[in-house]
Amino acid sequence: MPISPVNGRRQPNVGVNIGLGPRKSISFVGAGKGALMKGGYAGANQSRMTMSKNMMILPEAKQIEKMTISSAKTVTQVTDIHGVDVTPKPLYRPDPYSGTGKPNKLLTSQDGSHTSDFIASYSLYQNTLNPSMLGQFTRSVLGSSTVSKSSVSTSESMAEDLEEPSYKRERLSSFTDLRVMRTTPGKIITKEDLEKTIEIILTETETMNFLNLPTVMFSVESEEAEKVSQRNKNYETLCRNRLGNDLYVERMMQTINGAPKNKDVQCDKILKEDKGIMSTAWDLYDSYNAMELSSLPSKRSMINSSSKASVPSKDWEQTVQGSNLEKISEGSSLMDIENVILAKVRDEEEDNSDAVFKSDKFQQDLFFMERVIMENIFQPKLAAYRQLPVLKEPEPEEPGDFLVDGKLEVVEEEAKKEEEEDLEISSEQSTIPANLERLWSFSCDLTKGLNVSSLAWNKANPDLLAVGYGHFGFKEQKRGLACCWSIKNPMWPERTYQSPYGVTAVDFSIGSPNLLAVGYHNGTIAIYNVQNNSNLPVLDSSESPQKHLGPVWQLQWIEQDRGTTGDDKREILVSISADGRISKWVIRKGLDCHDLMRLRRTTASSSKKGGEKEKKGEALISRQAPGMCFAFHPKDTNIYLAGTEEGHIHKCSCSYNEQYLDTYRGHKGPVYKIAWNPFCHDVFLSCSADWGVIIWQHENLKPFLSFYPTTYVVYDIAWSPKSSYIFAAANESRVEIWDLHISTLDPLIVNVANPGIKFTTVLFAKQTDCLLVGDSDGQVAVYELKNMPTTLDSNRGDAIVTLLGPKSSQSIIHHQ
Amino acid sequence: MINPVEWPLVGSLKAVATLFTRMCAGRETGFNLGAPSCIPIKSTMDNPTTTQYANLMHNFILKARSTVREIDPQNDLTFLRIRSKKNEIMVAPDKDYFLIVIQNPTE
Repeated sequence: MPISPVNGRRQPNVGVNIGLGPRKSISFVGAGKGALMKGGYAGANQSRMTMSKNMMILPEAKQIEKMTISSAKTVTQVTDIHGVDVTPKPLYRPDPYSGTGKPNKLLTSQDGSHTSDFIASYSLYQNTLNPSMLGQFTRSVLGSSTVSKSSVSTSESMAEDLEEPSYKRERLSSFTDLRVMRTTPGKIITKEDLEKTIEIILTETETMNFLNLPTVMFSVESEEAEKVSQRNKNYETLCRNRLGNDLYVERMMQTINGAPKNKDVQCDKILKEDKGIMSTAWDLYDSYNAMELSSLPSKRSMINSSSKASVPSKDWEQTVQGSNLEKISEGSSLMDIENVILAKVRDEEEDNSDAVFKSDKFQQDLFFMERVIMENIFQPKLAAYRQLPVLKEPEPEEPGDFLVDGKLEVVEEEAKKEEEEDLEISSEQSTIPANLERLWSFSCDLTKGLNVSSLAWNKANPDLLAVGYGHFGFKEQKRGLACCWSIKNPMWPERTYQSPYGVTAVDFSIGSPNLLAVGYHNGTIAIYNVQNNSNLPVLDSSESPQKHLGPVWQLQWIEQDRGTTGDDKREILVSISADGRISKWVIRKGLDCHDLMRLRRTTASSSKKGGEKEKKGEALISRQAPGMCFAFHPKDTNIYLAGTEEGHIHKCSCSYNEQYLDTYRGHKGPVYKIAWNPFCHDVFLSCSADWGVIIWQHENLKPFLSFYPTTYVVYDIAWSPKSSYIFAAANESRVEIWDLHISTLDPLIVNVANPGIKFTTVLFAKQTDCLLVGDSDGQVAVYELKNMPTTLDSNRGDAIVTLLGPKSSQSIIHHQ
Repeated sequence: MINPVEWPLVGSLKAVATLFTRMCAGRETGFNLGAPSCIPIKSTMDNPTTTQYANLMHNFILKARSTVREIDPQNDLTFLRIRSKKNEIMVAPDKDYFLIVIQNPTE
């Protein structure tokens, strides 16, 4: 019978321990059903237990009682001196008739409160169901003082326990006896000991304050008095009700800490991007002006296609994306769609680039770029032209040139410093005579093969040159061209004005320097505005009833005093043409023509016919003489000289349009050019087809000095703006620079032309020592006059006369 | 700026083309036109060189422009020239494009 061990045993409740875990192993077997369950037994086990318990309940009851009684007898008694039973009472008295009770409570109250001795001596009657469990536990108790292994063993050995109750019982009982005996304090008290006086000193230990809760006093009249009193009452009722109140149950809980478990989660890579920006002053400025700037870009970019104005900025982004896509693209249906999009985007991109090309800004940029490139290419020449120091590339190869250049520069400096009228070449180091150094030439594909007929500088912009291309002869007529060249771009003209007729005269206006007058071989005069790119003339005389019928050989803008009518200086355009008329044109709602002079053939001797136009009979009507050139007096713009094809030079006045004032006869062929000396206003120069250049004096109707250097026609002459002695002459084969101060017999410099090319025009550059020479191949070459014997005193008006004075009335004929 | 009567004017692209040929007729090696996104639009040089120039110059141009504007935000870069031993690189930057010309020195 497994019952016996129940009462006398102080068996540790192993089952409880299982449930309680780390609790102290020894505890009463107060396990009821609840405890068993708490112990964590399997359901099957429990069922077995219950079965076994059921079996044992009834017969055990009596025996349990017996056991309790018997156990009571074995309780030790402790008495004091006076024989008072001071046996310490057990803290717990088991109630044999109580029901299942509250096993938890029992357990908690007993846990840790007993030592092993007491456990042994007291029986603990739990539920009737316990015995079976006790039986299980006993083994473990016997086995060891700790119950660590009991939990496992008990559950397994459930069945075995039931079968071996008797064996355990005996053992346990003996064990109990042993235990009981051990716990009793064995001491024999003798009489003497009892009578001995034992001094017991009782002293008061110091007061230990475990809790000091001072009272808080509230005045009855205060605001909170009512609340406080209410609270007090509540508290009193609470205390009263506390015992046995269901609301207050002491209970201990243990939370189950779940075992932590690591779990890894993987997510898509988080793309990070670093972005940095540098805050700059201009960035801030732009941001603050964002409102204004946002409206500008749409205007700024495209002009031709206004519809695309708003699109370009987006297009650029698309193109960027498009290009990126292009790189990534693979062959898939999605990509096909993208390719379609790309195709569209590319179209837009092309349109965009077109728009870029058409934009004004781009044109301007190209323009600047071209200029810069030209500057790079022509830098030495341009520097020489402008009399700036030439930038030399640091090259060790050509020291000789360097030295030469240096010498030449020194020469020029020294020449300037000279104040003597010494004509010797001032340079001591170099023996290079005065020469023309070719710098560059204005030519391009357009002008190839054309004949340069006239040159003219712009009055306002000294770098702008107008060149007229056209053949002189009637049979050689080709298309004509008038170009505006800039010094800064010698490779391409800034403006080109094409025409089917040859250009024979060009001139820039003084008052409105943007107006260019062009005279054609068919007699029309056109005025162009060079400021814009338009190819059309501003004014055209082709429909004027008074237009010229023959080639306009010379054009000039004259500022004329209109003293008679009291108006301001007015500019007129004077033209002379082969139909024998000198006309002035006024821009007043179109070109108005007014004849200044009709050139008539003089009846004097040695008049030659040279005109292409109508030849009339000698009888009554005076014939027209084709005019070739004219020159207005520098000071008195009323007086002008006109050269005709007869070889006569007529001095005319604007006041008279029928008569000449004087006639200078000396040339035997058409006079191609007349030029007044810029310093001495009494002297003028003329050249003609009779191979000769003649210097005239104003008052003298006979040639003053004549030069016949070659047997070629002299097409053009020009005075140097720097010296009154120097003039240039261009004949077919060469260009000559004459310096009258040095020699009247030979030209100072002779520049021979390449074979097949004729020099047709000459023009001096105003600020520099350069000479422009036009030839029959469409080239305008720029030469620098080097080593010219210059003198500071430029106003040599009187000097030339004095120089030539003694030679007056002598005509010197030179042949070579 | 160049509208010769003889050549039919088809937009100004023709004119631009002529200008290009003129510029390249000299001693220049070539030039290219790059967008701000560094894609060369038009070039007379071979593609790898063009892209290389475009990419390298892009940062330089931005830096130069930043420098100029940093000193005075109302100022802006109009032209940039880099002269080296072997050639000269000239850049005309603009909002929409960079015009880069590489020129050999005059020899």
